[in-house]
Amino acid sequence: MARYGMVIDLKRCVGCNACTVACKAENGTPPGIFFTKVLEQVAGQYPIVKKKYVPVLCNHCLNAPCVRVCPSGATHKREDGIVLVDYNKCIGCKACVVACPYKNRELMPEGKLKEGHFKGYLTPFEQVKYKKFQEGVVVKCTFCSERVDQGLEPSCVNTCPAEARVFGDLHDPESKVSRLIRQRGGIQPMSEANTDPSVYYIE
Amino acid sequence: MISQTVPMVGEEFVMGYRKQSVWSKWIALAFFFGKVGSGMFILAVLLNTPLIALAGLVIENVGKGGALLIHLGRPARFWRAMTRPQSSWISRTVWVMGIFTVIGLIYLVLPAGSPAWQIFKVLALVSAVVVAITDGFVMNDSPAIPLWNTPMLPFLFLFYSLLGGTSVFFFLVHGGWASITPLVDLETLETALIIINLIGVAIYLGSMVNATATARESLRLLIKGPYSGMFFGFVVAIGFILTLVLTLFLGASGGTLVVGLITLADLIGHFFIFYLLLMVGVYSPVLGKLTI
Amino acid sequence: MAKAATSPATGDRWVRSACKMCLHGCGIRVRVQDGVIVKIEGDPDNLNNRGKICPKGHTGIMRHYDPNRIKSPVRRTNPNRGPGVDPGWEPISWDEALDIVGKRLKKIRQEDPRKLLVAINDFQRIHLWGWGAAFGTGHYFTTTGQFCGAAYHPINGIIDGSFASVNDYEYCNYWIQMGGGDGFSSHLHVAGSIKRMADARVDRGMKLVAVDPRMASYCAKADEWIPILPGTDRAFILGMVYVILYELNRYDAEFLKKHTNGPYLIAPDGRLFRHPESKKPMVWDGVDNRAKEYDDPTIKDFTLEGYYKVNGTEVRPGFQVIKDTLKDHTPEKMSKVCDVPAETMRRIAREFVEAARIGSTVMIEGKQYPYRPAAINFYRGAIGHCEGTHDHAAIKLMNMLVGNIDVPGGHLGVGLDHRLLLIEPGPDGMLKPQPHILHPMVPFTCPPNTLQMMEFFPIGLDPAHLVAHNILNPDEWGFDFKPEAALIYHANPLKNINGYDKVLEVFKMLDFIVAIDILPNESTEWADVILPDHSYLESYMMTLCEPPVITGHTLRQPVVEPMYDTRDAHDILTEISERCGCLDEFNGLLNFTMFLKPEHHLKPGRKYTVLECLDRMAKSIYGPGQDLKWFMKNNNAVRHIKPGEMYLPWEGMRISLYHEYFLQVADDLEEKFRAAGKEWDTSSYLPVPTWNDNHPLHRLPREYDLYAINFKAEAVLNHHENTTIPWVNELVSNIPIHKGVLINTRTAREKGIKTGDRISIESPFGRVEGIARVIEEIHPRVIGISNAITRWTMHPVERKMNTHFNRLLPASLEFTDRVSGHQETAVKVRISKI
Repeated sequence: MARYGMVIDLKRCVGCNACTVACKAENGTPPGIFFTKVLEQVAGQYPIVKKKYVPVLCNHCLNAPCVRVCPSGATHKREDGIVLVDYNKCIGCKACVVACPYKNRELMPEGKLKEGHFKGYLTPFEQVKYKKFQEGVVVKCTFCSERVDQGLEPSCVNTCPAEARVFGDLHDPESKVSRLIRQRGGIQPMSEANTDPSVYYIE
Repeated sequence: MISQTVPMVGEEFVMGYRKQSVWSKWIALAFFFGKVGSGMFILAVLLNTPLIALAGLVIENVGKGGALLIHLGRPARFWRAMTRPQSSWISRTVWVMGIFTVIGLIYLVLPAGSPAWQIFKVLALVSAVVVAITDGFVMNDSPAIPLWNTPMLPFLFLFYSLLGGTSVFFFLVHGGWASITPLVDLETLETALIIINLIGVAIYLGSMVNATATARESLRLLIKGPYSGMFFGFVVAIGFILTLVLTLFLGASGGTLVVGLITLADLIGHFFIFYLLLMVGVYSPVLGKLTI
Repeated sequence: MAKAATSPATGDRWVRSACKMCLHGCGIRVRVQDGVIVKIEGDPDNLNNRGKICPKGHTGIMRHYDPNRIKSPVRRTNPNRGPGVDPGWEPISWDEALDIVGKRLKKIRQEDPRKLLVAINDFQRIHLWGWGAAFGTGHYFTTTGQFCGAAYHPINGIIDGSFASVNDYEYCNYWIQMGGGDGFSSHLHVAGSIKRMADARVDRGMKLVAVDPRMASYCAKADEWIPILPGTDRAFILGMVYVILYELNRYDAEFLKKHTNGPYLIAPDGRLFRHPESKKPMVWDGVDNRAKEYDDPTIKDFTLEGYYKVNGTEVRPGFQVIKDTLKDHTPEKMSKVCDVPAETMRRIAREFVEAARIGSTVMIEGKQYPYRPAAINFYRGAIGHCEGTHDHAAIKLMNMLVGNIDVPGGHLGVGLDHRLLLIEPGPDGMLKPQPHILHPMVPFTCPPNTLQMMEFFPIGLDPAHLVAHNILNPDEWGFDFKPEAALIYHANPLKNINGYDKVLEVFKMLDFIVAIDILPNESTEWADVILPDHSYLESYMMTLCEPPVITGHTLRQPVVEPMYDTRDAHDILTEISERCGCLDEFNGLLNFTMFLKPEHHLKPGRKYTVLECLDRMAKSIYGPGQDLKWFMKNNNAVRHIKPGEMYLPWEGMRISLYHEYFLQVADDLEEKFRAAGKEWDTSSYLPVPTWNDNHPLHRLPREYDLYAINFKAEAVLNHHENTTIPWVNELVSNIPIHKGVLINTRTAREKGIKTGDRISIESPFGRVEGIARVIEEIHPRVIGISNAITRWTMHPVERKMNTHFNRLLPASLEFTDRVSGHQETAVKVRISKI
């Protein structure tokens, strides 16, 4: 069975946030909710300064704390490793939000689906996209599972102009993700949390 | 190597410490009622005051249960919380609460002194202790937040539970709403528990000084940051110092008003310590080894 | 991976089109489900961007569905106009709106067409920019060329017939980037370029050196960031040129001898030393030791250096003149100007020359080319200054010294459109300079007819920042008319022209403003009538703009039916032209600007729809077989530029190293001014770029102790800010550099300023307020202002931070590059906590 994963090449990433917006467009997330984004980090003192761009998203951990702490079974892991939230089961206890070491989960608060990006007005786009959401439940990156099921790449991977994001099967030693991890030494984010993320970073 | 200070960030797209914000007052209230309710029950069982034991059960179910329901984004689906006891501590608390309620009720309706009553008395005590402790595991089960992710929390929950129960009892007895065997010196018990809790909190927070940088950041928020006023005011001054001074120097001899004040001060400290521990819950920066 | 599965049966389809969230027009495909646009992606079958698009490309959905769009022609009902004043728009019919506009403009046209100001900024419909000329007015009331590059495009055209330029992504190994976002965030075809740059950096290990006062994203990704003071890039470059010429003594002599005018002998007056009879330029044959005509077949060696006497005249090769002119531009001296250590300049110069591999060659498709994999790339930040021509010329000089112009690995010219580089033989064995790729030269007249005085900038680009000053002070240059109306089409002059206070005065003066746009902005909130354009997802256009590496048009076509009662801007202008009596001139203009072949020419007296025009354009460029129908079926004619089109396309002609051309232009201009009895300073037409110790920017009073720069060079703001789009607004609200005025930690500490403090920013020319954002990654003597914090439009999504950078800038001749017309885009300021 495949285990889907992503490799993010921090050398290639230019911090343009095309992924952030492609994700908003694909998933139609309401204002203030991002399933992926690019964090920046600045270190040092002028003129010796380093700045780094690090895209983050749900890591679809093999040993996912969110799956473990979920009391309702809403958060579940598919056989292919994709961690999803079943909005019909989620009770909104937010245990997964405080359990995710990466803070990649968010509550869809009450009223969020009526707010609209244009404040009080829902565009036809939002009307279509909001149909699949519910208020009061926890949401997060789905690895674009609907796209993946159709044989497509996640939206963020599809758009990345730098081709910094690569998606594929971590169990297939010949997949591009496996080769990149092997050849360039993939690092899992916060590996000390022992969550075994399916997202790897290479530098 | 470049020197670096990790900032505390909000929703900005910046690497740094982030505060959790989804578990706040309602969870704190649930913990509060959970501990006070189970503490009251434990003392009531030990001191043979069935009415107060019942009150404990009610507080546990209405107070804690109600606060939890309000906390839920989808309260109508609360029953689904029972479906994952094999892995989820929230599921387990729901189960434990249910079991405790059933055992407690059976214990209360059984004729006192009967063999079944004796058995259920033990069972009820055990389940009440478990109830008090499980909330600690709920908090401790979040690997994301180092401040909470320590085995000390369940103990802290237990001792706070006992202290809460004792305080309420102390007040009820002095107000004449409950009578107990005079053998038990509630005042000494109260003093001892305050000191134990004080030591417990001190050890717990002290252990964070040498823990991860993230835990230290939580500690900083608590004792130096925006929450320090509430911490030193409600938790330390009112919750510990005032209660301790009043119990040691006036205590029961001060009359019902003083005892009421002691109880109130204790409960205030009690609520705020856990509320503040929730509020200063800080996630580690997501990068781990990827930091510059 | 497989392509998207869509089902036409359920109203789920993908439509191929072209993006218009910046000027460059990447190929896109748009998913429409039951009539609703649900996704925009890069078109994987478009060679240009190969399925990738930048963040802004995605946000087109939110612009299209913006409920604030103008839904039908509207007329203002509130007679009061001003910033933040609600116009009280009232919907009217197209006939009524066009009649109002037509009647008003017709009257103006009959009286004096110069009374109409025109501001057209629709970058993908460049063919409409000249509408004013058809009307009879030449004013450019918008900074079209200014914030990108009056000092950029004409100089590129003069050097190698190009419109833009960029380093060779495929072969470059050592890339110095100055004040520009190529390959990271902005400029030529962002999505495609990011990929090309990432491949070069990561797959080929290309070294990147970034020079910028602020750590822009390209600096963050560079191997080395060199902070520099604004407006001093030329000093940094010339310090390195000195190292190359005097310390390393390594340059590509062969290239200079063969492909440039470096060996042409120069007379003491700086002009070419010509043969007394043939008038041909002379060169020195170092083997025969005598001067010869440049095309003498007996020449054995073109000498670059030395001092000679020919027929009693002291002469020296152009290269020697350059060397002599720069003999005091030592790194130590230049370092004091630009604040880059002299040793850094020495090291970078050495690395650059070494990486250039002078003398090496490469075979590409069977042809041998010089191989110079080191080049300096740059954009507005480096040259957008009041001596921009010299800034640009200095960078080109350093590139030319290693022989990297238009060769593999080097610095390549990029065309404006399918014509690619404009290669025509010029006089004296030289390539013909092409400073007028955007529009033809405006012939000299004094007093000028255009308020931006284009008549006085024979090789420049419309200095629109002079318009307001000239309107308010007509007597200075003898303007005998007063503008009374403006046509603003996809432009925002109130926001984008320097010297806000003067522009505001002009807006108050105008008594009729007509706007064509899809949303109101700071300027069109003043309009009397707005005529709504289709959004780009509802309209047609053949798009192609400044493509590096690739060429060929992509068809933009409607993805959905127009949502509102809107029309194509092209058709709107046709209607206006007819009503005000300039339809024939407009058709004539389109024949030229749409490249129509005679057999496809638009005829006078007839209105043509945009579709008819585009069909003729397609057939004219691609032949009868590739008409509009072909494009509707095949979407694009994009292809790779061939090596022969990209590398040394001008081989056999010489390019300008020693810019004698500038002296020619200056002489001509001086003569015309003499004849007109006026004076004009031509002292900045210099054949060799030098550092000017009297640079107006750096001579501003000392109490203005900091420099201020602005930037749009982050992908989410590329080309124009679009902060009224919610997704863009969300991003900039979350990214620190777009949240306030950037101040270095050290400077902020000295001035007692903290993040979040409200501060006053004052230049000698204006004052704005803003929120401080203290950061580490900016030069301590510089403050940075993102375009995302500059706006104040009434649009409800906009943050309205109104730290309007342009208000701080000068808008006068003193701060204008007399050669290119470029305005100064940096300024000195003092800041304080409020």
